Amino acid sequence: MEAKELLKLANLNKWYDGLHALQDVSLTIGEGEVVALVGDNGAGKSTLVKIISGAQGSDEGEIYLKGKPVTVSSPKDASNLGIAALHQSLGLVGSLNVFENIFLGREETRSIGPIKVLDKKKMRERAIELLGELAIDVPRLGVPVLSMSGGQRQCVAISRLLLDQVNLILMDEPMAALGVAEGQKVLDLIERLKEKGVSVLIISHNLEHVFSIADRIAVLKNGRMVGTVSPKNSSRSDVVRMITTGEGAGPEGAAQ
Amino acid sequence: MSVSKTNVKTGAAGRADGAFTFEGLGITAVLLVIIVVFSFVNPRFFAIENFLNILTQAAPFIIMAVGMTFVITAAGIDLSVGSILALSSVIGFDFMTSGGHPVIGVAIIIVVAVALGVLNGVLVAYLVIPPFIATLATMVSLRGLALLHSAGTMHYGLPEAVAFLGQGKVLGLPMPVLIALLAALFGYWLLNFTKFGVYCRALGGNKEALRLTGVSVKRIEVLVYGFMGLMVGLGGLVMIARIDSTQATIGTASEIHVIAAVIIGGTSLFGGKGTIYGSVAGAILLAMVANALVIGGADFFWQLVVTGIIVLFAVLIGNLREGRVSMAKLPLFGRTKS
Ligand SMILES: Nc1ncnc2c1ncn2[C@@H]1O[C@H](COP(=O)(O)OP(=O)(O)OP(=O)(O)O)[C@@H](O)[C@H]1O
Ligand SMILES: [Mg+2]
Repeated sequence: MEAKELLKLANLNKWYDGLHALQDVSLTIGEGEVVALVGDNGAGKSTLVKIISGAQGSDEGEIYLKGKPVTVSSPKDASNLGIAALHQSLGLVGSLNVFENIFLGREETRSIGPIKVLDKKKMRERAIELLGELAIDVPRLGVPVLSMSGGQRQCVAISRLLLDQVNLILMDEPMAALGVAEGQKVLDLIERLKEKGVSVLIISHNLEHVFSIADRIAVLKNGRMVGTVSPKNSSRSDVVRMITTGEGAGPEGAAQ
Repeated sequence: MSVSKTNVKTGAAGRADGAFTFEGLGITAVLLVIIVVFSFVNPRFFAIENFLNILTQAAPFIIMAVGMTFVITAAGIDLSVGSILALSSVIGFDFMTSGGHPVIGVAIIIVVAVALGVLNGVLVAYLVIPPFIATLATMVSLRGLALLHSAGTMHYGLPEAVAFLGQGKVLGLPMPVLIALLAALFGYWLLNFTKFGVYCRALGGNKEALRLTGVSVKRIEVLVYGFMGLMVGLGGLVMIARIDSTQATIGTASEIHVIAAVIIGGTSLFGGKGTIYGSVAGAILLAMVANALVIGGADFFWQLVVTGIIVLFAVLIGNLREGRVSMAKLPLFGRTKS
């Protein structure tokens, strides 16, 4: 597309013991572009997100960021490269409270002489700000997230993505546990991120969401990239056919 | 829109750790009940002198329980504390009684204990040996080393300055009590107000989530066991200074006392959250029971029997509180109603 390329995956391969979970997967994401990744259960979508976010290594293939080859061998690498991820498992610690979770690994501190102490007040205020971007009804910031509902937890996990300035946000089924209003808020949020020039890779099984938000739709089947299509030029049934048969759809499909 | 902001409520007066207060109340109530009951049974129990005596007895265990709170909160366990205490204390003691400078002697005890704690941490974090096995192995080996160093020898005669740590008083407070108090305050601060504390709780609650944030989980694990070692060194120092002696068998079975204190206090054996206040109260509770048994003329061995039973009850109460076990499904209790 006309947007400048941000991320390029070239021929990624991943094996789990004998299982070839990703087979020569290639994909590009432009700056400020929203790409939706769809496919059946077990297609390899989460595996791809784990590799891009450094949660897991790939066995073969290259990752390029703005044209330069990069290695993402740890979550730290990914965050240094400006990549933030929401994993399907959410990555929350049940016994920690809302703001301890949001800031985990990136705590705000204040110095008392040479000693650094958590700045709970600052984290609390910032957490309220972040959660305000989502339609979330959090009972209290001090309660362990264990005692919150699935949707509330999901919102807490999503709000972690907004903490730092990043180039690319990966979301593995961010709306899975959300109600209609909350889901819409996340779609709005993605829209705002896009306006700010942030690229988003979103995994979702909800084709209605996918068609309303994505600039491009990439389809995975059994670890292979079937192809990418534009929601403007394709119908939902086209995408469903790609997901189920694994056959590309015309010229756009061949483009990747 | 500002509407969504009003949805976020911040709770009562900015208290982040609300849940903690309740657990602290529980153990405090138990302590008070024990004091009242014991005092009725034996009036000799209820005396300031006796309470200070109990606290002094409890001090080394309080200090070690502070360290163990971090270990258990991080979903680990350390069975080797008694052996670390023995090995570090015989080496340091020997150095001092053969004319070494007291400050260096104290430093030796602390450094050896920290190093052995770090060793546990490395075994657990980098060799991925389950904490129970890793520290069981070091418990045996380090006790062996202590015996090789000092089997059959009773070391005694500490320099006065060091003995003061166990026998001196400041403002009427015995030094062991003072040191235990400082260790507990430090531990409380560390667990609740520092990154390290959050990471310990995250490590025990969801290790993978902590790893995904980019925090070096292995480094935290090593630090946790290293801190445990530090508290063992300090606790051991107080213990040997109080009795002005040590031997290779010192601290035998102290791991069960320390772990018991932490569990009784309400720290979850399953990791994720811990309470320093509870651990301190737990250590005091155990010392009170031991004291009552002594005053009542019971054989020392009863102390072991009772400690084990208290641990089982404490874990059971924790399971009930956290819903892992329900009263209705317990044998004996279950038949009353549904
Ligand atoms: N840690 C693992 N060890 C072994 N096999 C794995 C592991 N993680 C995933 N797999 C396998 O790899 C394949 C792809 O899994 P992945 O989680 O990427 O699928 P997915 O497309 O995200 O599916 P879903 O829509 O159900 O979330 C599956 O067959 C799965 O069983
Ligand atoms: Mg998945």
